[in-house]
Amino acid sequence: MSLAELTRSAIKYSEKIGVDEVEAFAQSLQIIEIVLERAEIQSERVKTQCGIGIRIIKDKKLGFAFTSALSKSRIEESCRNAKSLANVSISNPDWVSLPTPAKLPKPPSGIYDEETASMGGDEVLNLAKQAYDAAKGYDKRVDIDDGKFSVILNDVAISNSHGVEAEEKTTLLEGFLICMAKEHGETSSMAFEYEITRAIRDFSSERIGRIAAEKALASLKPKAVRSFVGKVILDSDPAATVLIQPIISSVNADNAQRGRSLWAGKHGEEVASQKLTITDDGLFPKGIGSSSFDFEGVPHQKTPVITHGKLQSFLHNSFTGNKEGKKSTGNAYRDGYNMPPSIFASNLIVEAGKKRLEEMISETDKGVIVRRFSGNVRPESGEFSGIAKQANYIEKGEVKYPLKETMVSGNVFQAIMNIVEIGSETRPTFLASYVPPIMIAKINIISK
Amino acid sequence: MVIDLLKECLKKSRGYGELRYHKRDTFTVSLKDGKIDVLNSGIIEGACARVLKDGSWGFSSTTMLEKDKIDKILEDAASLAKASKSKKKRSVKLASVKPHVDKYETPMKIDPRKTGREEFVRLIIDVDKNVRGFSKNIVSDTVTFNIVDDELAFLSSEGAEILQRIVRCFGNVMVIAREKGNIASAYESIGAQSGLEVLEKTPLINVGMTAAERASKLVSAKVAPAGLFPVILENRIVGLLAHEAVGHCSEADLVYSGSFLADKIGKEVASEKVTLVDDGRYLNGFGTMKYDDEGVSTQKTAIIAKGICQSFLHSRETAQHFGVNPTGNARAWNFEFDPIIRMRNTYIETGDYSMEDLVEDMKEGFFLKGGLSGQADFTGEFMFGTQEAIKIEKGKLTESLRGVTISGNAFEVLKNVDAIGKDFVMRIGMCGKEQINYVGMGGASLRTNVLMGGTK
Repeated sequence: MSLAELTRSAIKYSEKIGVDEVEAFAQSLQIIEIVLERAEIQSERVKTQCGIGIRIIKDKKLGFAFTSALSKSRIEESCRNAKSLANVSISNPDWVSLPTPAKLPKPPSGIYDEETASMGGDEVLNLAKQAYDAAKGYDKRVDIDDGKFSVILNDVAISNSHGVEAEEKTTLLEGFLICMAKEHGETSSMAFEYEITRAIRDFSSERIGRIAAEKALASLKPKAVRSFVGKVILDSDPAATVLIQPIISSVNADNAQRGRSLWAGKHGEEVASQKLTITDDGLFPKGIGSSSFDFEGVPHQKTPVITHGKLQSFLHNSFTGNKEGKKSTGNAYRDGYNMPPSIFASNLIVEAGKKRLEEMISETDKGVIVRRFSGNVRPESGEFSGIAKQANYIEKGEVKYPLKETMVSGNVFQAIMNIVEIGSETRPTFLASYVPPIMIAKINIISK
Repeated sequence: MVIDLLKECLKKSRGYGELRYHKRDTFTVSLKDGKIDVLNSGIIEGACARVLKDGSWGFSSTTMLEKDKIDKILEDAASLAKASKSKKKRSVKLASVKPHVDKYETPMKIDPRKTGREEFVRLIIDVDKNVRGFSKNIVSDTVTFNIVDDELAFLSSEGAEILQRIVRCFGNVMVIAREKGNIASAYESIGAQSGLEVLEKTPLINVGMTAAERASKLVSAKVAPAGLFPVILENRIVGLLAHEAVGHCSEADLVYSGSFLADKIGKEVASEKVTLVDDGRYLNGFGTMKYDDEGVSTQKTAIIAKGICQSFLHSRETAQHFGVNPTGNARAWNFEFDPIIRMRNTYIETGDYSMEDLVEDMKEGFFLKGGLSGQADFTGEFMFGTQEAIKIEKGKLTESLRGVTISGNAFEVLKNVDAIGKDFVMRIGMCGKEQINYVGMGGASLRTNVLMGGTK
C-alpha cells in the first residue's frame, strides 16, 4: 500500500470508531549515510525510517499516537490509542478545526531529483571520499576528525477527515566535515564545513573538504586580543544560529500568542535595521524546505516576514491561525511522524546585500569575523554568548590572525537594529534558512 | 517470540555477528499555559544486524520483524562489511568478553505501565497552576512529563543473549516572565531511570517553582559581566563540566584522534581534589544499563582519580586497540544505529564543603546556577550556558544577574578547583555525538575560575 492509501485507511477506520476529526501523517525516509570518524569511514548505514502519526479530536480534546509498523492492525491500534488518549485528556477551548481542503500549488521546481533518488551506497561513499581527499590533499597539516554524508529520499502523505489529501516526494543531500590542522604540536580549533542540496549535480564534496581544510589552517597560531566592543561579521552558519534562530522564534505565532515573543503586538513596527528584509518562502525553487504543502497539508506560500526592518507577518499553522481568525501561513512543522505539528519556517530567506565577504572585510577598520559559533542563544530575550571558534581579528581591512579563547556576546534584538552590512553570498543553513554573511556592531568581544 | 526468531536467524551467520532488537514505547503529556497541548503515545520497533567480516564492520536495520527481513539485514550487513573493506585503513579486532546470558530490568517501585494516563494529566495540571500562580509577571509556561520504556535484546554469534527493560521517567518546566518590555525564561528538569517513584523523590513541582522564581526574578535583572572570574558552579551544572569538558576527551575514539587526554594516562590533569568517574551502574542514573549495546557488562570507570588520569572509555574495538578491558561504553540510540563510544553517568565525586564555606571564602566572584546546553572540542575547550549568576561580594551572595555562557579549557578549570561541596546531585542529560543518547551527569557545587561571556 502507498503512504496515501495508508493515511486514507486510517481516516476511514477512525471515523468508524467515532471521532470528531482525525488526521493521519505518514512518512517514509530512505537514508543512506556514511559516517566518518577518527579520520576514516566508521559506519555505512542504509535505513528506512517509516511510520504514521494519528491525531484525533473529540469534544476539543486531542490525542496523538504513532507507530513505526505500517501494518493494518498496528495502524488501527494507533487510531484506537489516539482516541483513548483524547478521552482522558481535557478539552482545549482554543481548538477550532483541522485544516479544510485548499487547492495545492504545483510542486516547486527542483525538490525531487531522480538521479539523487537512485544513488546507492557506493556513490555516497564516494562523496565522503572526495571530501576526505580534498581536505587531506589541501595541506598535509590538515587532519579530519569526523563527518557525515547522507542522501535522503523523503515521502510524505497527509489526509484528514475534512478531505485534505496530499502526498509528495523530495530528495535531499547533506554532508559535513570537521577538520583540524596540526603544526609544531599545536592543534587548531575544529573547522566545520557543509553542503545541503536537493540534487547531486548541485553538491560539491570537493568544496566541503577544501573549505574545511582552509578554515582549519586559518585558525593555526591563534593570539589573544584585548577585550573590546565592536563590529563582528557572522558568516552564514553562525549568522543563522545567532541571529535567525531568535527571529524564527519571535515570528512564531504560537510564541506571540503566548506572550513568549518580544514582537507580540508589534505588527508593522520597526524591529530591525532597514537593511533587513526576510521572506518565508515554502515554494522557493530547489529550496531545502520547499514542498507544495506544509505538514498539515496546507498549501505552502510566500510570506513577507520583515520588510526593510518592519515586522510584516507572524508564521502560523492552522491552530494559531484559527485562534486569531486568520489563515494558516503554511508553517506547520513536524520533526517526524511521531510528533504532532508545531510551527517552523519553511525556507526563511534573508535578502542578500551587494557586497562580497572580501569587500566587507576590506572595509572594516577593526573587528572580528566569526565562522563558527559554539554557545547559547536565548530565543525569547535574544541574549547570546559563546565561543568564537574559527574567528579571526580584522584590522585596517585585513584579516590579521586567528583568535584564541575568545567569546562574543550581545543581544540579538539590539544587534539586528545595528546591522552594518548584509553580504551578497547567501547560502542554505541547517536552520531552514538562506543566509548571507551579516555584519553587526556593538558586540562584546571577550578574552581573559 | 521475536528473540527466538532472531536466535534462529543468527545461527546461519558466519564470522562474528550480532542482532539487536529494540522496542521503544513512549508517552508524553504537555501542558501549555494551562491547556493540554496533546497526549502523545507511540511505539517504534525494529531490529538491526552488525557483522564483522575480515576486520570490517557492516550494519543494517529494519522495522519489519519477519524471518526473511532479518535474514536480509544479516546478509546486507555482511555485504556492506565486505564492500567497504577496501576503503578502510583500520582492521577491526574485538577484545574478548564473556558472552553473557542474562536479564535486567530497571529497579522500579511503581511501574508506569500499570498507571492510568489520566494520572499524569492531573499531575501536570497541578504543577502548571502553581507555577503560573507564583507571580504576576509570569506570562507563559510549558510543563511536560515523559515516560520512555525500552525493551532491548542483544544476541551475538558468540552466544550472548541479554534482555533488558530500561524505563526512564522525566519531566521539565519552562517558564517565561515579562515585565516592562523585558522578557526572561527559565528551565528546570527532573528525571531518572526508575519507575514513577521519581516523582515522589524529586517532585516536578519543586523544579517548577525554582524555574518560576528564577524567571520572575531575572526579568528585571541585568546581564552578568564579561571576563575571567572566580566562580562557584552549582551542583546541578557541575555534571555538565564533567560530561562536556572532560568526559568527551576520554572517549577512546576521540583519544585515538588525538584528544587532550591522549598522552595523559598516569599524569596529573586536575587538582588532587578531583575524582571524575563514568559509571554504567549508578543506581537510577539516566545512562545506566547493566550491559552496553555490545553485550559488555558495564562498570564504574575512574577517568581521573585524585587529579591523575586513569582510564579512557572503551568499546570492544578500542579496548583491543589500546590493550585494555572494554568498559561497557558502546551505546546506540536505537536500532537504526550501530553502537559508538558514549558516556553513561559521568560525575565528579563529592567533597566536604558546605555551601556557606564555599561562598564565605570568596572575596569577589559569581555563583552560577541553572545549566543550558554545552559543547566541547577534544582539545578540552568547552562551553555551556548558565541561567543565573549571583554576585558574591566579600563572602556574601548579593545581586542576581542573568546568566551567560561560560568557557575555558577543562583541564585548567579542573586544576583551579580548590574546594568541592557536599551537596551531590545526579541529573539527567541528552548528549548529541553523531546520534543522541540519554546520559546522567552529576557532581557537587565546586569552586574554580571560568571565562564568562557577558557584557563589557
